[in-house]
Amino acid sequence: MEGLRRRLDEAGYLADAGLSTAMALAVALGLPLLLEGEPGVGKTEAAKALARAQGSSLIRLQCYEGLAASEALYEWNYQRQLLAIRAAESRHERLADDDLFTEEFLQERPILRAVRAATTVPPVLLIDEIDRADDEFEALLLEFLGEASVTVPEIGTFHATRRPTVVLTSNRSRELHDALRRRCLYHWISFPDPERVAAILRRRVPQAGEAVVASVSAFVGRVRGLDLEKAPGMAEAIDWLSALSALGVAALAPAEPGWPDLGLTLGALAKTPDDLDSVRDALAEPLGGGCGPAADAPRR
Amino acid sequence: MRVVPDLLPGVDRAAFGATLAGHLRRSGISVGLSEIEAFTRALSAIPPRTRTSLYWTARVTLVRRAEDLARFDAVFDALFGGGAIRLDPHARRQDALRVVAERPPPVRARTGGDAGGADLPWAVLPGGRGRVGPPEPGDDDARSAPLRLPSPLIGLADVPFPAFDAGALALLDGWLAEALGEWPTRRSRRLRPAPTGPRVDLRQTLAGSRRTGFEPARLVRSRQAPRRRRVVMLCDVSRSMQPYAAAYLHLLRAAVVAADAEVFAFSSSLTRLTPALAHASAEVAVDRATAAVDDRFGGTHIAGSIRELLRSRHEGTCRGAVVLVASDGWDSDPPEALGAAVASLRRRAHRLLWLNPRAAAPGFAPSTGGMAAALPHCDQLLPAHTLAGMADVVAAIVRR
Repeated sequence: MEGLRRRLDEAGYLADAGLSTAMALAVALGLPLLLEGEPGVGKTEAAKALARAQGSSLIRLQCYEGLAASEALYEWNYQRQLLAIRAAESRHERLADDDLFTEEFLQERPILRAVRAATTVPPVLLIDEIDRADDEFEALLLEFLGEASVTVPEIGTFHATRRPTVVLTSNRSRELHDALRRRCLYHWISFPDPERVAAILRRRVPQAGEAVVASVSAFVGRVRGLDLEKAPGMAEAIDWLSALSALGVAALAPAEPGWPDLGLTLGALAKTPDDLDSVRDALAEPLGGGCGPAADAPRR
Repeated sequence: MRVVPDLLPGVDRAAFGATLAGHLRRSGISVGLSEIEAFTRALSAIPPRTRTSLYWTARVTLVRRAEDLARFDAVFDALFGGGAIRLDPHARRQDALRVVAERPPPVRARTGGDAGGADLPWAVLPGGRGRVGPPEPGDDDARSAPLRLPSPLIGLADVPFPAFDAGALALLDGWLAEALGEWPTRRSRRLRPAPTGPRVDLRQTLAGSRRTGFEPARLVRSRQAPRRRRVVMLCDVSRSMQPYAAAYLHLLRAAVVAADAEVFAFSSSLTRLTPALAHASAEVAVDRATAAVDDRFGGTHIAGSIRELLRSRHEGTCRGAVVLVASDGWDSDPPEALGAAVASLRRRAHRLLWLNPRAAAPGFAPSTGGMAAALPHCDQLLPAHTLAGMADVVAAIVRR
């Protein structure tokens, strides 16, 4: 487990004890892992980092309402089948079902691709935002999650030689069924504490200075305590820090003439008009509402 | 290299997992056999070496819902944190010896009085006599405690709402069942076969063409399947709405049972009533709902409750739904806050209906305060103060 944590660290993702335990168990037991948490805490990033840490490929399936077997499991190549029929006719041959429904005409979609992958290290299948899909899609997934197999009625059942690592993410906007939860390990990712926020920011935005990283993580922690419609998550904090370092801001300091107002960058942090006002007020309180130049940045 | 010893050596993993699951089940977390199996396999695949890793292994495999995490923490701390089960075999042996040494003293039963347990071979607590109201001067029994009566569902003294007897309930259920036939729907992305649909379903067409020598002689068409819109109901149960609360709770229950509605009650804070009201028997459901709402006599915070709903994980159920708010608009929060909250609710909902029993009074004009701020954002304002008013509510839901 420590080995996995170290490899995740090298892949650029700082995982805490709980998440690394969950991932290690998912890999060791061959069970799917359901990651739940608020939006923007890094669930999708965790799955991508796991793929990099394992040295395997990432297969991604983005869920939406109405996702059906033809987009998730497999699809028959109807055009090719029709062409084969016409070609057989022109040669005056008979064509039977067995000739027409073979693997040659089968188009793989992400889940079947994960099952049939023949690499040494099994791939990581990311089923993203499963709460956006509907009940029918959850029912489709049950066979795959339980036994890592996909049944194509015309051909037969494909079993995975090595079970792929499956990671499902959910924003909890809809309640998932018990049948799905029973087949998966479960981990809740909460927003990290300020020291870990600073460590993650330092890793993801390496060009930012130490002072601005510290003040950004403190400010984001304070903003999350306000009553906002959409509280900013890790992704928004990373975007804002990238914006600040792109503008050459060294510290959240009172404004100097000639420099852009820091409040203009808050669109990375606050996503609705009311939130923008609240965050701007919070920024103005102890700082006098502005930004300061970097030590060696050219004056405009 | 220092070898870190295994935690819990010599412990039967299956029995350990089953016992831990038993404790969790007794605290209300549903743990099934597959979870216990996963936990036991995890203990052998990655044996935990510290208490923290045991915690995470148990949590990831045994708990499958976010709501159960707090209870799991409590059970785990009680078992492994307070030293009730020591993880070190030597300490466990000492514990066992200590338990044998401290034999509990024999108990003499209390005789007489109103204890009611005079003949029992174990001690009973002194029978507290409950009193209602403040203690009288002559009452020197220090053991009596004030009784907390359940909040009475007051009958409808001054307002024309008939008592909700079985006949009225049956009527309400009947209206809703009838309305289900014309429930508002929305297009979903699922396709279903329809002879006059705009899309051609290639798979079924080719499958059907087998019968005609693989010539697609008959095109199978499909269209987008409609889904019923969800109904979300918020009911004000504060003191000013007391005469109507009972009747509205019945309406909420009928909606939950018939139409899978999500229902909430609020006065100073928000309570989700859907699990409490999802019962076939009306009395049981209303009793459970009354027990669930425990803040009925504080000030009303309509804006705060709506904001709490939109910040919670039930915000997604309001999207595209028909939302009903049953309240008289008397809010302790400033009217601008109520206007903003109702506006953000309206932006997510498909339609917003407001039920205000005060609107039935002649000469009612929402010119003041909360009601005036909320009215511009509502699609309809309904009085709903009589049984016929309930029928109008159901009709308003199905009207497009």
